[in-house]
Amino acid sequence: MSDASAILKKNLWSDNPIFVQILGICSTLAVTSALSNTLIMTAAVTFVTALSSTTVSLLKGLIPRKVRMIVQTLIIAFYVIIVDIVLRAFLPDISRSLGPYVGLIITNCIIMGRAEAFAQSNPPVAALWDGLTSGIGYMVVLVIIAAVREMLGAGSLMGYSVLPSGFTKWTIMVMPPSAFFLLGCLIWAAKTIMMKKEARR
Amino acid sequence: MNKDSFLYVVIFTFLAAFVFVFVISLADGATAERVARNQELVTAQAFLNAVGRPLRGADADLEAFSALFGGAGKKAPAETAAETKTAGTVFGGQSAAGEIVEAEIDGEKVLVKQFGGQGLWGTITGVLAVNADVTRIIGLDIISHSETPGLGGRIEEDWFKNQFRGEKIAEKGISVRKGEGGADSDSENAAVDGITGASLTSAAMEKIVNKEINALRERRNKEGAGK
Repeated sequence: MSDASAILKKNLWSDNPIFVQILGICSTLAVTSALSNTLIMTAAVTFVTALSSTTVSLLKGLIPRKVRMIVQTLIIAFYVIIVDIVLRAFLPDISRSLGPYVGLIITNCIIMGRAEAFAQSNPPVAALWDGLTSGIGYMVVLVIIAAVREMLGAGSLMGYSVLPSGFTKWTIMVMPPSAFFLLGCLIWAAKTIMMKKEARR
Repeated sequence: MNKDSFLYVVIFTFLAAFVFVFVISLADGATAERVARNQELVTAQAFLNAVGRPLRGADADLEAFSALFGGAGKKAPAETAAETKTAGTVFGGQSAAGEIVEAEIDGEKVLVKQFGGQGLWGTITGVLAVNADVTRIIGLDIISHSETPGLGGRIEEDWFKNQFRGEKIAEKGISVRKGEGGADSDSENAAVDGITGASLTSAAMEKIVNKEINALRERRNKEGAGK
């Protein structure tokens, strides 16, 4: 069980895919302008990471080394298309607002990274947990960025107005560069805390 | 069998691809009807929205749509489906948009047209409704687009679309101006505010709407001559 909590801590904090490994940055810029889209998008990424890691782990004894990466991509693409089909059939509004970004989950390096670095050499249950926690680590960071961007850029959260009507909206917050600034600040904050902890030790 | 042998690699890859694609096609087939209905509903709601009818949930909307727009109700969704199919192959996406539909809304004749035109990243499709002599826009709704989420994608937000409601049409059509972050509330100036940070999408919208206005005017003139 200590293994599980070690994986959790690693994926959420000390080895977080976004602010330590700097993976999946493109989607950080693209889908964080509104909180509700971000939640669905990151939930989809978490789902795909968890299940593709599990599948890769289950099939690891069968996959030939030569075509390892291609098969992993096939598995990831499979889950992404399933997510896309489910969204289109049951949540058409969200599918419309996410547009092409659902398909682009396939290219999210976090998923491939977990399949290659962890699922390839670990049992299925551990791979599932690793994929799940990696996805959550990604989700937490994106939700923070999205909350700040939506609040300052549109004066609302999840589409509901939260700031007084006299508030001047920061247009820059709606545009992709603001995600870079916020991400930079987050990385800075996280690294500072990590270094302080290290120094104390 | 040796896992690195050529034969194994080929057989494994083929089987894996076959199994995964097979499951996907099953899932796609199982949801095809729902997806088609969703698409139909989006079109129906866009028509209702454009003419200012309130939306009352999926089934009621589909009914109201076929009642108001009659024969067009059957054609419009099929057109949308055809459009999505050809959007990839027809470069520029200047698809032949839908025909002009006449409808009676609260005793007044309105002209409604489904349109499709080139946005910044892809085709923008929607519905435009104008009064019988094409001097005022009744309303506009967007069916689909692939503009940047949060920027050009905001054309589907209500504040943007509502600017068109009741807007006067000038000789040159409608202009989409550089906005100041708010909406233009004057419906006599034949202008609406564009989206900050999305100048190209705003310009594309101006072009699309004016093209449709011209098409609608042509139709009006033809009918006038006929009478």
